[in-house]
Amino acid sequence: MYLTLEQEKMLRGDYGWAIAKAMEIIVRVGEALGAEELVKVEHAHISGISYSTIGKYGLEFLRELALRGGKARVFTTVNPGCIDYSGLSKIIDNSLVGYQKLIDESLEKMEFKLTYTCIPYFYKPPLPGEHLAWGESSAVIFANSIYGGFTNREGGPVALAASLTGYTYKAGLHLLENRVGRIEVKVPTSLLKVPIGAIGLWIGENIKAIPCICGLRSVLLDEVKSMLASMAASGSHALAIIDGATPRGTFRVELEERVEVENSVLENYIGGEYSGSSILGYIGCPHTSPHELVEIWRLVRKYGRIRRGKLLVTIPVEFAELYRDIVLELKARGVDVATGTCPVVSRFKGKFDYVLTNSGKALFYIERIHRIKVKLARVEEIVRELSGL
Amino acid sequence: MSENSLVYRGSVKPIVPGPCSGEVVLVNGYISFFGEIDPERGCFIDSKNVCFHDKILVFKGTRGSTVAPYVIYALRRNNTAPRCILVAEVEPMLIAGCVLAEIPLFTVEKYEEFVRLVKNTHSNLYLEVCGGVLLLYRRE
Repeated sequence: MYLTLEQEKMLRGDYGWAIAKAMEIIVRVGEALGAEELVKVEHAHISGISYSTIGKYGLEFLRELALRGGKARVFTTVNPGCIDYSGLSKIIDNSLVGYQKLIDESLEKMEFKLTYTCIPYFYKPPLPGEHLAWGESSAVIFANSIYGGFTNREGGPVALAASLTGYTYKAGLHLLENRVGRIEVKVPTSLLKVPIGAIGLWIGENIKAIPCICGLRSVLLDEVKSMLASMAASGSHALAIIDGATPRGTFRVELEERVEVENSVLENYIGGEYSGSSILGYIGCPHTSPHELVEIWRLVRKYGRIRRGKLLVTIPVEFAELYRDIVLELKARGVDVATGTCPVVSRFKGKFDYVLTNSGKALFYIERIHRIKVKLARVEEIVRELSGL
Repeated sequence: MSENSLVYRGSVKPIVPGPCSGEVVLVNGYISFFGEIDPERGCFIDSKNVCFHDKILVFKGTRGSTVAPYVIYALRRNNTAPRCILVAEVEPMLIAGCVLAEIPLFTVEKYEEFVRLVKNTHSNLYLEVCGGVLLLYRRE
């Protein structure tokens, strides 16, 4: 691989141990993928910063990089941690706060922006063609598909290494020649009443090539976000070309196949009928956008308050201040609002018989990690169900 | 004394080079290291509870969370890692995990053919990678 003089110096340790280690990771991954050179990135987003997901060895890895001089060389945001940073959630278990604090100290020492969110595009929306090094599968697919940013599904350590060096390897989706839609996936209008996460889970499991998805022009961006996140959970998608949304010039289309999503195949992805009395409603995977938060607020006002089970909404830390009045009213109406975390990367305090969520991604992980039955529903159905009306 | 008979010879491409020989554990599908694997035990979390510590883990490719490299790294640190990994498709986060954890990683050229043979040979299988060549033996 060709390295510039600066990159060579980084690799051989002239800039310190942490940068040398980071450069070694990038070069080795890049060489394995056949990259011929590195590319400068504008924004790194670090996944794998929750103690609940990376454990003691991940913590050691982050601490060592921080203690040995690692510092962000580009704008860097971080994913959710395993605790509710407002400290007020009755659903998210904050017992790992001591370990999470050690991680957070390391992140702060490396001068990352402590956003604790999986929607980093809220802080710095990528420009079409801009090179990024993002972890967090749902953010990667959103950046590539909606903004036309160029990023691979970087594992947490690679995104971190890219932040410390300012570079990542030029391969995969950093090259236009690899951003080619090969299969058209048509979503019929009749399916738009189904929770969209189910469509995403089906595409993720059954379509392997980069899909060109059509039929979503009337769908809200928040719904598309949910679908893309589900695709990236049940599959390995990092880019979907969305008809009418993906910026021109950031992809090519060479169709080889066409499929249409059918209602009958989606039933398996929605989840079965629920039983038991302890119900948790969950919205905010990925974290809510401002629009989604306002919509939840409108629905909770419409149905009065939460009277049956519990409703958890997860938001970026900063939203607690930005939308303070909305958050306070949601809490007053019985909604549990947790900031900077989510059930995928944290633990629950209590036990639940089942979870009702609008997120296919949450379904995928909650069933596996928490061993709880999950059913998909639309946001209004969740609020109505939990309101007891 | 047991003898080995060669049942398959194929090609592999080293992605993270290193030694690779041992018993085969086949999970023919896409896996998310986060959420589907327990790094404490080196086993899958699902009902089949397949364990792969000190064996050769074979699967089609990865899916899901980008936390995967940390889970792979934890497997190494917990001494529950597979000896090496063979896949049909690689993605960056799997490579990053294997680089960090120093687990040799290979892509199998005719993956479907190889997997069909592994499935059909129900006896003890022993696999060895030499250079770019994959050798699969049945232990008699």
